[in-house]
Amino acid sequence: MPDTAVEVRQRIRELLVGVFGGPSFVSQVQDTASLREAGVPSTALVALLVAMEDAFGFEWDDDIRPEVLRSIDSLAGHVVALRN
Amino acid sequence: MIVEPAPSRGTVPRMSLETSWVAPPHGPAEQFTAGRRAAAAALAAAGSAERTVPRARDGRPLFPHGFAGSISHTGRLAVAVVVPGAEAVGVDIEPAAVPPRTAAFVLREQERRLLLPPGGPHTARDLFAAKEAAFKALNSLGTLGEFLFWQINLGHAGGVLTATYRGESVPVWIHARTDLSFAVAIRR
Repeated sequence: MPDTAVEVRQRIRELLVGVFGGPSFVSQVQDTASLREAGVPSTALVALLVAMEDAFGFEWDDDIRPEVLRSIDSLAGHVVALRN
Repeated sequence: MIVEPAPSRGTVPRMSLETSWVAPPHGPAEQFTAGRRAAAAALAAAGSAERTVPRARDGRPLFPHGFAGSISHTGRLAVAVVVPGAEAVGVDIEPAAVPPRTAAFVLREQERRLLLPPGGPHTARDLFAAKEAAFKALNSLGTLGEFLFWQINLGHAGGVLTATYRGESVPVWIHARTDLSFAVAIRR
């Protein structure tokens, strides 16, 4: 299971490829870019969150803050923080 | 597109609804352009002299004063709704099926039990669109802080599907087709 922020970001990218857009789209999304503004629809964003639960072994809290879900970087930061 | 009323969902209010196809290669820029084209047409149909819809810093579309509206798009189709005199409007179209895990993520147990078959008439895709539409309407009030669309509660009130978050409510109407679900939330 990936532990470092770099590994977690890479795993999130792999998951995003699986739920939306394919590798050519995901490779163009910057780590800190807003996923919604990059064109990821809400259905794909939720699918990514579900896939992250399986990949990283945790469940999202009901009261998760929106900024955590903004980008690949913020998502990875949440996972790394949970590990620590 | 015609939004048809259903007895259990209340009478659909008057609205200006226009659609526009998204041009190839169907990316964010083309989707944005199609959305603004649909919004301009909806504003014209609603009687607005102003037809442009600039983008707020947070990405929300800024409709002219007195002509509340909302925009949604898929990779192929954009839709805009304008309701003159309304306080807030939200619209959403969803073409993709919503798998059970996704439904469980965005819908609480009570919502699934009361609104999905056999207890209710809606599909998970309908309710996903309903929460998105309600989020746009409630978020545009600017009084609820930052929240996520699935944190909104759906239920039936007086025969109308109603979305509620932190004490603020908005009725939602759904039109379901085989290829997409359309939802609009209008707060007067």
